[in-house]
Amino acid sequence: MTRPHRSSRQYTLVAILLHWVMAAGIAILAIMGLVMVHVELAPARLFQIYQLHKSIGVTILLAAVLRLVWRLMHRPPPLPDTMQPLERTAAAGGHLALYFFLFALPMTGWALVSASVFSLPTVLYGVIPWPDLPVLPGLSDKAPVENLLKQVHAYGAYALIALVAVHAVAALRHHFILKDDVLTLMLPKRSGSRRRSTSAQTEGPSS
Amino acid sequence: MNLLRKQQTRAVLAAALLLASSAASTAYAASWRVDPEKSKLGFSGIQTEVPFQGSFGRYSAAISFDPDHLDTSHISVTVDLASAATGDSQRDTALPGKEWFHTAEFPNATFESSAIRALGGNAYEADGNLTLRGVTRPLTLPFTLEIDGSVAQAKGRVELSRDAFGVGQGPWATGQWVALEVGVDIAITATRED
Repeated sequence: MTRPHRSSRQYTLVAILLHWVMAAGIAILAIMGLVMVHVELAPARLFQIYQLHKSIGVTILLAAVLRLVWRLMHRPPPLPDTMQPLERTAAAGGHLALYFFLFALPMTGWALVSASVFSLPTVLYGVIPWPDLPVLPGLSDKAPVENLLKQVHAYGAYALIALVAVHAVAALRHHFILKDDVLTLMLPKRSGSRRRSTSAQTEGPSS
Repeated sequence: MNLLRKQQTRAVLAAALLLASSAASTAYAASWRVDPEKSKLGFSGIQTEVPFQGSFGRYSAAISFDPDHLDTSHISVTVDLASAATGDSQRDTALPGKEWFHTAEFPNATFESSAIRALGGNAYEADGNLTLRGVTRPLTLPFTLEIDGSVAQAKGRVELSRDAFGVGQGPWATGQWVALEVGVDIAITATRED
């Protein structure tokens, strides 16, 4: 019985890079968001953090576009044979939800900035101008729209944080409890790492 | 002669001189041409407790000034508000917007002097009106003046409240994010036009 080759069970390097870079970006954004809402800051500092949060947020949105295009062009490795149908559905659903938030959260952020009563232009990292969404800046009464979008963005962020936590815990479960290679698939290929892709203990030389 | 007769006599003499000369004579305030390379029309403010400086790149001034004939001296300045630059891309993009200068409707700010007074030494004061964002308010501009031959250097500074002119609307109308007091600094080098 042939087992799938190690080389066919690996995410592409681009996918791996995008995954971890975006994970770091999202973690930073989440922390910044929580600080912006819950920590007393000097106005100048708060203002700076808002601008940086917008800059990183737009960067994540653009990376998400790249990510989606790449994903559509490169099928990820199949899930381990050992996974049950319910687990497979949960995994697929969870990943789909993550992709949804990768787009929805920056979009709601973009929308709330566009509807902001402050009408501050967005300049990414202080150098690259970024336009507002259409319609929103011209609304006659922006305050309630901005407030609604703020709520949506905030609750969406909490939902994403919860989803990421489940995602991370699930990956760790695969690695430490189920002892399969799901987590290592999303790590750069190393020789000598665990090679189990099924319940078989070791891979012998292929016959 | 009483004061009124003196003033009337002077006025008649001045009118006669004007008729008699084909060009503006030295009895009248001379015209001065501002040297843009050596002049600066700056402004300053405080945003989220951090001071910033900026300047206007495009403005024009019609100055007729003679320290001995202050009554016929006049300063008129027109500033192209869209030329404001503070070195911060976000701020500079916001300034011409509807909440701030609203340059689409009010492209220029103007200052017209109504009277210029000597305060002693090289200190002067120009009373006048500032029109900014469509609102006209009296403004007194204090300045110092050094004239060396045909070159004059004037330096002045005035503080004004931007909310008097509606610069900074909505959430910007309070001093919470951007201070209401802003400074205008002028440093003008002008050459007398003969």
